[in-house]
Amino acid sequence: MKKWLRLVTAAVALALAPTAAHAHLVDTRLGDFYSGALHPLTDLQQVLPWIALAVLAAFQGAQRARWIILVFPLALAAGGLVSLEVPLPSFGPVLGLVLVAVTGLAVAAAARLPLGVLLGVAVVMGLLHGAQNGAAMVATTDRVLFLSGMTAIGYGVITLATGSAIAFLRGAAWRPIALRAGGSWVAAVGIMVLGLNLARPIAG
Amino acid sequence: MRTRAIIARAAGAGTFPALHAASPAPGAHSAPLAATSARSAPPVATNARRGPGAMLGGLAAALLCLVMALLVPATAARAHEATMAVITLREIAPGRFIGQWTMPPVDMSLQPIFPPHCKWEPPELVCGGSGLTGRVSFMGLGSRQSVATIRVIPREGPMEVYTVSAANPSVMAARNPGTDLAVWRDLAETYVNLGIDHILRGIDHLLFVLGLIWLVKGGWKLVKTITAFTVGHSISLAAATFGWVGVPERPLNAAIALSIVFVGVEIVKLQRGQVGLTARYPWSVAFAFGLLHGLGFATALTALGIPQATLPIALLFFNVGVEIGQLAFVMTVLALLWAHRQAQALLPRWGAAIPAYVIGSVASYWFLLRI
Repeated sequence: MKKWLRLVTAAVALALAPTAAHAHLVDTRLGDFYSGALHPLTDLQQVLPWIALAVLAAFQGAQRARWIILVFPLALAAGGLVSLEVPLPSFGPVLGLVLVAVTGLAVAAAARLPLGVLLGVAVVMGLLHGAQNGAAMVATTDRVLFLSGMTAIGYGVITLATGSAIAFLRGAAWRPIALRAGGSWVAAVGIMVLGLNLARPIAG
Repeated sequence: MRTRAIIARAAGAGTFPALHAASPAPGAHSAPLAATSARSAPPVATNARRGPGAMLGGLAAALLCLVMALLVPATAARAHEATMAVITLREIAPGRFIGQWTMPPVDMSLQPIFPPHCKWEPPELVCGGSGLTGRVSFMGLGSRQSVATIRVIPREGPMEVYTVSAANPSVMAARNPGTDLAVWRDLAETYVNLGIDHILRGIDHLLFVLGLIWLVKGGWKLVKTITAFTVGHSISLAAATFGWVGVPERPLNAAIALSIVFVGVEIVKLQRGQVGLTARYPWSVAFAFGLLHGLGFATALTALGIPQATLPIALLFFNVGVEIGQLAFVMTVLALLWAHRQAQALLPRWGAAIPAYVIGSVASYWFLLRI
């Protein structure tokens, strides 16, 4: 079991590390809306904390969790818009990994957070990932379509993950434990890649 | 809606007749322009009754028309000579062709682009067992050349002609697959993808389907309503692709926009507690508007200039692609609605009508743009 855990963790760590180093514009042949929608999905370093954030929100109960369905996509859109004017900060990749580790740890601990803190994490994550995705646009990209696609997928993923996690938590007692175990994996991956990055910083 | 072409028999219309229509003989322009000049005569006579100044103005206008009539045909004729290019591919062995410019391009940078499985080393084109099937276009089209034609003379069967223009930059080459499974697979892949592309990029179709989901509220009733929409658009898609019906593009697109406005109004009615037409007869309304939207789907297919022999197969696979895309969209929307209910993230009572107004406003804007 431990061997499998190590293998999975190493595989996810490997999958996370190179994507952080390269901006990549995905051509879906369906236009810039779908390019924007697919772009975050090709980067585990973004999708993983989104799901962790949704699960963390689900641990706070539906009344609190529902706010991230509104706040996160708006922050993502705002981050994308900011990227049009402001270059990506140099600490962006490190902050991204910190967010993976922090959300993972919070899920593992099933932490009860004040709504403001939960939304604060959602806003920081949204702004950062919005800016990172926005920075991948090239001169020929239709910015409105790309950012709309990115916001739409952010809304879709966070909504589906939050709804699913809330529904999942309603069942047997082992279910919160399963989600917390998943959170610990996310945290392990985040900490491991963060350690690698601090030892050998990721370019750009 | 990204459709451009009029519903027409592209298989025939996109070939030589279309090319000839676009490039009449140099003298052919003289008649219409001369007629224009002649039509300008009555105003001159009318002006003569108004006074010398007006008469002089009218005379100047007539002279201008005469000068234009003399000058324009010459320039137009030159323009047409510079825009045509024809390459002929003769099949010498199964999947092997010899190509030759039968009407060379003005700019030799114009080069045909064949499907990825074909290897083009002029003058030889090798496509293997699949034959010349897939997307064909030209590199360098639009600068000095506006129209290029590929004539394919197979070893058996009639000649196929594909016309590519700046407005219609690629065509789909296909041949009757017969019993060749590889060709069937290629055709299926090409047209299913095309159908998926078309529905996923057709925001107006998706918005209409979203309106239907909103109105019918899930369950078997929704399944039946979406099925009625599917049956409706499949019928009209087939009818338009085979050329049995034809509707000009602009009024068609405007009507599609109007259908979304209708759905928006129906949602608002429902939220006010009134039972609208769609709430009462959802299948009938979905079927009727499906017929309309199917005509829109057909424009994407006919614009490709599909050969007559493969038209039924192309239509079948294109429709399958449209259904896959539509089903994916419906499932996504239903999943999101479910997730919203789980998270208790529902619109407050005062804001429940906002999406309907947004749908209606966007569609009204499209309608105004399209009329």
